[in-house]
Amino acid sequence: MMTFFKKVIAGVMTAAMVAALAGCGGGAASSAAGTASTAASGTDAAAGGAIDKIKSAGVLKVGVKADVPKYSLKNPQTSKYEGFEDDLAAEIAGKILGDKSKVEFTTVNAKTRGPLLDKGDIDMVIATFTITDERKKTYDFSDPYMTDAVGFLVKKDSGLTDLKSMNGKTIGVAQSATSKDALQQKAKEAGVTLKFAEFATYPEIKAALDSGRVDVFSVDKSILNGYLDDKTEILSETYAPQDYGIATKKGNDDLAKLVNDTVKDLKSSGELQKMIDKWEIK
Amino acid sequence: MNPFGAEQWQTLFSDFHDVFLTGFLHTFYFSVCGLILALAIGVVLGVFSVTHNGALKAIARVYVEFFQNTPLFLQLIFMYNVLPNFGIVLDVIPICILGVGMYHGAYISEVVRTGIQSVPKGQMEAAMSQGFTFVQAMRMIVLPQAVKVMLPMLTNQAVNLVKNTSVTAMIAGGELMYLTDSWVGLYQVYGPGYLMAGVLYFVINFPLVSLTKYLEKRAKRGMVPKRVKRTEKILIKEGVANGGVL
Amino acid sequence: MAVFFKVFSLSNLNFMLQGVGMLLAVASVSIVLSLLLGTLLGTVKAYGPNVPRAAVSVYIEVFRTTPNLLWILIIYFLVPFGSGLSPMQKDFSAGVLAFTLFTSAVVAEIVRGGLNSIPTGQFEGAQSQGFTLVQTLRYIVLPQALRVSVPALLSQVITVVKDTSLLAAVNIAELTVNGRIVIGQFSGDGAALLLVYGFMALVYFSICFSLSIVVRRMQKRRPSGRPGKWEKEPQAA
Repeated sequence: MMTFFKKVIAGVMTAAMVAALAGCGGGAASSAAGTASTAASGTDAAAGGAIDKIKSAGVLKVGVKADVPKYSLKNPQTSKYEGFEDDLAAEIAGKILGDKSKVEFTTVNAKTRGPLLDKGDIDMVIATFTITDERKKTYDFSDPYMTDAVGFLVKKDSGLTDLKSMNGKTIGVAQSATSKDALQQKAKEAGVTLKFAEFATYPEIKAALDSGRVDVFSVDKSILNGYLDDKTEILSETYAPQDYGIATKKGNDDLAKLVNDTVKDLKSSGELQKMIDKWEIK
Repeated sequence: MNPFGAEQWQTLFSDFHDVFLTGFLHTFYFSVCGLILALAIGVVLGVFSVTHNGALKAIARVYVEFFQNTPLFLQLIFMYNVLPNFGIVLDVIPICILGVGMYHGAYISEVVRTGIQSVPKGQMEAAMSQGFTFVQAMRMIVLPQAVKVMLPMLTNQAVNLVKNTSVTAMIAGGELMYLTDSWVGLYQVYGPGYLMAGVLYFVINFPLVSLTKYLEKRAKRGMVPKRVKRTEKILIKEGVANGGVL
Repeated sequence: MAVFFKVFSLSNLNFMLQGVGMLLAVASVSIVLSLLLGTLLGTVKAYGPNVPRAAVSVYIEVFRTTPNLLWILIIYFLVPFGSGLSPMQKDFSAGVLAFTLFTSAVVAEIVRGGLNSIPTGQFEGAQSQGFTLVQTLRYIVLPQALRVSVPALLSQVITVVKDTSLLAAVNIAELTVNGRIVIGQFSGDGAALLLVYGFMALVYFSICFSLSIVVRRMQKRRPSGRPGKWEKEPQAA
């Protein structure tokens, strides 16, 4: 029947259209992580080219957060990004382009940082991005520049003190963040069941906590520090040490190496620690 | 990264039941409940707006203007985050249903109003002169005739409503869009994930869209050419041929 | 009330107004592009040869049955905008692309409906005067069709303005997003929340309501079709 046929065609067209859109995305930068074959494949041309591309662009494009005090916070008055991770980005720009100010920041959140990096809209991600084995299959990470752990933010009058007390409660987490997995594992071990609600950005989770939609706001402790106020407290319990790394797209070996070397140098020279202290990050 | 790698499709199919099927059913559930609510609100307010009672007309008008001129997203966040500060805490699911129900209730009331107004006024006058009360005349004479014109517009609104359930994903609504988003973030398989979601929305909506087109044709059939022309103009103005999306 | 001034401090207001700017920018550009593309598609679907017509049909069906939000996500995540554009420009482009694709499908159907309402006599008359099909469309048929469709098109404009709030899903700096950031400073303070949301609602409302008044007035003026001896004709959904 005609309408059935049309339905089939429309279905195929949807597929074709998304594929075409994605094809532009996938094709432009040829690395294809996630499938075993591609690790060594086709981008030896690009492997040497990433740094050159950045140099010819004249600016280093970095994806950073805009809502994490001390790490990377966008000042609403000046529209400038201020934080430890922003300084780190500047250091790398200095290494590649010789000028620490030649950084272009793009706001990302846990959900968008991966896709934007894949698309090539940004050269690297420095956005409290936790290194995990799963993620290593898709991205290249530098050595950890910071270690943190997952913490809990609760309302002072909630009476919640540790994981066990959260049995049956709802935990607010960010989409695409590692918190949910980490907590689910711990919960299983402790024999506790948790409910989860995911949101795209941290302010949303805080709003949900305030309005009682979630009982706990759970994310890396350092991020939680930015949302502390007089009605809430951070529990002392923490889980799953999180190593933050700088992520670059697979296949850009030259860039990955330079980034890693920079981090290593900053660590060994004590510069990194100085930056951390500057922002009073515990 | 190739968004369409074979590995990703594998993950999709293994999680299909938890993510996509569940999401599909939730979307379906929200849509049906929301639609019932919207119809109820729509019919009541639609009738209000054609009475001669100034107060009722005003109520209908205010409601319609408010809900039609503010974003659904804003309305949802308001119920989700602001009301609790004043003691009104509703569960997520009722909020989703209330949200789309009230929003589309406004649009449906306009549809009802158009439908009623497409019936010649003489019908109401004749009925009342025969002793029908306003409500009786509405129920037995005017509305049944109005329905023919209203049907395509109603199914159009139904399609929009289904699509709008996707907005509840932003307040963790638990339906198809939310589950797809969440799953996609986990495995970074956004290509196949969103594609699958698109297909599933298509599956729900295509029958409705086809129904709209069929009803549109039927609304013009069996009427005098003058009525046909008028009906057509009404349908065009309402943009039934797919206007009023969202 | 002290809260009022804290909430609507100059910097906060400025910040939110920037969001309004983005909103208006994305909305207006998308609307213009969708009108152009949509009219083209609608015309093809009404009068074009079979193959393009089928293609357009499929395009329209796809966008008619899937949510706008889905396309915003797909385009933002999968379409690269390359170098040379600032992040804000990339966000803007993604938003415009998503809205244009989606809205043109809607516009196409509205225009097609409008075209269908034109009596065939117009074509015959034109062709008897030596107009080609394209000329007929351009000078005679389309203007009339568009005029009939204006209320529905305006309603769609209103919808696009409201839908820019969906760009919040990918954190594009429009009004809703900026509003939420401002709210972040006042967590738990009910009055402040109300003020900010009220402000946002007011902005959307003013823009959309003014447009809707225009729509209603337009419908009142048109004597043809005269359905409502009850009252004026309703606004398009």
